[in-house]
Amino acid sequence: MNIICKDYRLNEAFDELIGPDREPRPAARPLFDYLAGLDPSTLNDRRKAVEAAIMTMGITFTVYSDAGNIDRAWPFDIVPRIIARKEWQRIDEGLKQRLKALNMFINDLYNDQLIVKDGVFPIEVLEGSKNFRAQCKGITPRFGVWAHVCGTDLVRDKDGTVYVLEDNLRVPSGVSYMLENRQLMKRMFPEIFQTATILPVDDYPTRLHDTLAALSPREGERPVIVVLTPGIYNSAYFEHSYLAQQMGAFLVEGSDLVVKDDDHVYMKTISGLRRVDVIYRRIDDDFLDPEAFRPDSALGVPGLMRAWRAGKVGIANAPGAGVADDKVVYSFVPKMIQYYLGEEPILPNVPSYLCMYDDQRDYVLANLDQLVIKPANESGGYGMLIGPRSSKEERAQFADLIRENPRNYMAQPTLSISTAPTLINDKLSPRHLDLRPFVLQSDQMYVTTGGLTRVAMKEGSLVVNSSQGGGSKDTWIVDMEGV
Amino acid sequence: MLSRVAESLYWMTRYLERAENTARLINSSTQVLLDLPKGASFGWDVLIRVVGLDQQVRERGIKLDEASIMAFLIEDEDNPSSILSSIHYARENTRTFREVLPMEIWERINGLYLYIRQNAKRATHGRSERYEVLDGVIERRQSIIGLLAGSMSHDIAYQFLKLGRNLERADMTTRIVDVNSAVVLPTDAVLAVPAMERLWMSTLNALSAYQMYRRHVGVHVRQQDVVRFLLKDPHFPRTVHHCLSEIEGCLADLPAHEQAMNATRQAFRRLDSMQLENLAPVVLHEYLDQVQADLDAIHSAVTRQYFYLHHNPVTQSSQSQ
Repeated sequence: MNIICKDYRLNEAFDELIGPDREPRPAARPLFDYLAGLDPSTLNDRRKAVEAAIMTMGITFTVYSDAGNIDRAWPFDIVPRIIARKEWQRIDEGLKQRLKALNMFINDLYNDQLIVKDGVFPIEVLEGSKNFRAQCKGITPRFGVWAHVCGTDLVRDKDGTVYVLEDNLRVPSGVSYMLENRQLMKRMFPEIFQTATILPVDDYPTRLHDTLAALSPREGERPVIVVLTPGIYNSAYFEHSYLAQQMGAFLVEGSDLVVKDDDHVYMKTISGLRRVDVIYRRIDDDFLDPEAFRPDSALGVPGLMRAWRAGKVGIANAPGAGVADDKVVYSFVPKMIQYYLGEEPILPNVPSYLCMYDDQRDYVLANLDQLVIKPANESGGYGMLIGPRSSKEERAQFADLIRENPRNYMAQPTLSISTAPTLINDKLSPRHLDLRPFVLQSDQMYVTTGGLTRVAMKEGSLVVNSSQGGGSKDTWIVDMEGV
Repeated sequence: MLSRVAESLYWMTRYLERAENTARLINSSTQVLLDLPKGASFGWDVLIRVVGLDQQVRERGIKLDEASIMAFLIEDEDNPSSILSSIHYARENTRTFREVLPMEIWERINGLYLYIRQNAKRATHGRSERYEVLDGVIERRQSIIGLLAGSMSHDIAYQFLKLGRNLERADMTTRIVDVNSAVVLPTDAVLAVPAMERLWMSTLNALSAYQMYRRHVGVHVRQQDVVRFLLKDPHFPRTVHHCLSEIEGCLADLPAHEQAMNATRQAFRRLDSMQLENLAPVVLHEYLDQVQADLDAIHSAVTRQYFYLHHNPVTQSSQSQ
């Protein structure tokens, strides 16, 4: 263990497992005690075994640019990221508070717009929103909830504070990797699960099922739930199939569904058409219903919006929920929490500058080399500028983009996001990471125990997205009581 | 059960069965060859004819020597029926319905695919490596069937798997029997009779049926007994009769099965009426063609009944339940 820690090169970032004194943090101590008992070759053997298991289990992630080959193993690091349960409880509460406020906000926007009338949320932001769907006006879905599944990205700065980086409210993915990563760890390191109190993560599919079942229009009957996927060429197809399997739901494509005159949704079965109660859709709004949105969509189901508006089918996340998944809207979430819940936000936002306001835009343009610039509506780390690592040309190009469309850009200071030891060439080296917990809401709320830890496998890199060379780790919430 | 998923299940299992049986066919033909007496001849091209791929081979100008034919049947990615392609299709099909199968099944199918991808080249190196690699395919495929039988509810999804498997299996059994028509034996009866016996023994071995044949039919391996056993025995799991019974059982569990059931009974009646004593090779070949046509009729009826909705747009006023 000493050898592992002595060689480990801490940098200015906060390290999740190793303290500034180069000793393991208390929650990570059982792990390092365990690692100390293994000889170095064992660790390497286990890593190889994990890689082989990933191949057989077929845990793969498609990258859009990998033409021809539709899957590629997704790098998994065997050193877990560890958080003490006590700290996690506070994060758990903060995440629930946040989603509750976001859902009240979405419902307000599509109905009375009180938050605009009361001057808390500027109408200009709403007017510039790409994801506001006029087709959803006047609708209040069951429980007033629009975003039933939210993936919230968290990062830790060098002083140890955990910040919310963004709220993914459209079709957040990654939860299956959280579940599979735990399976892999239990397969490869069963011993450590006997000695440390690592809280389980595997109730997520059941909770997701219950969250969806609560949306069924036919109460009292076992609802027919489907997961709507764009198909096997979608990057998250593995996850769609995995979740359907875990929930005992049907995995359907748009062509399997049909909406008839009675506004009910049916699926095409071997014995004719069968009614569908709840759709967990993993297709973007744009492609959901060619009658209501993009007419050229071949992935969607004509008439789906009609069925939903008539209350004949539950859809999660509701069409239009993406209006709050916007990096400009994000900067107003602390105000939403105060406005709707009368509470102070438990989890802080990263300070943000909105380019739509003259003074803030001037600051951003003057400090492009210090800031991270993000477009309002992209996901997956696309279209970003990381100031300190950018070239002069890139900065000039972004300055033009910002002046052309200020509503579409916001900026944040470059955080020194935390690291954790990661096995690189048989040695532990610090790599930057973030955390995506998943939050559910319908009649009840639920937060995953931990979430998906994504890690930038390249030295010094801050980009953790799977589409850009990121990998993942198992995330342990460790109960320290009685240890 | 979604129409689309039912069809994928059905094809997935047909592809796997095809891969396994092609492996069996190749291994048994190799055995036949080893046992042939001086003066007898065997054309490898019969394998191509038996699996119905002669046209493709002609069009692509593939040579008819052992090495070329083996490469074509085992690892040719442009041949949709090669072992590698079949397993590849089975895996791609499985992707689209992983949620209806026990998780381990996907792992095994994926494992089988990775195995053949790594070893297909090696299988074309020489006869002993080929035997070993193909045996590995058979073994892995068998473990998938075993896992399915023991860990999957025998629900509608299972019936489609079983249906596809038995249709393909019956079809391949008739094709494997047909291989022997390609052997030209010496005219000398002293050599020909034992050679004939060894030939049919190899056929039985290819289908893992030799031991059961000896127990239930007898120690003498004669053409008419072997053919009768492989077509009409009700108990051995690879005979046409047994497969038809299984198909009947699957259909009984499926809704609206009348047409497919009629086609199955028709196949049964025709099988029962076949006179297999003192059969001329030409007549045997015709009989086997007839069985294959009857199996195809069952396949068409199944497709029409259960996969129809998947292939055709539903109009707003069409039937619902």
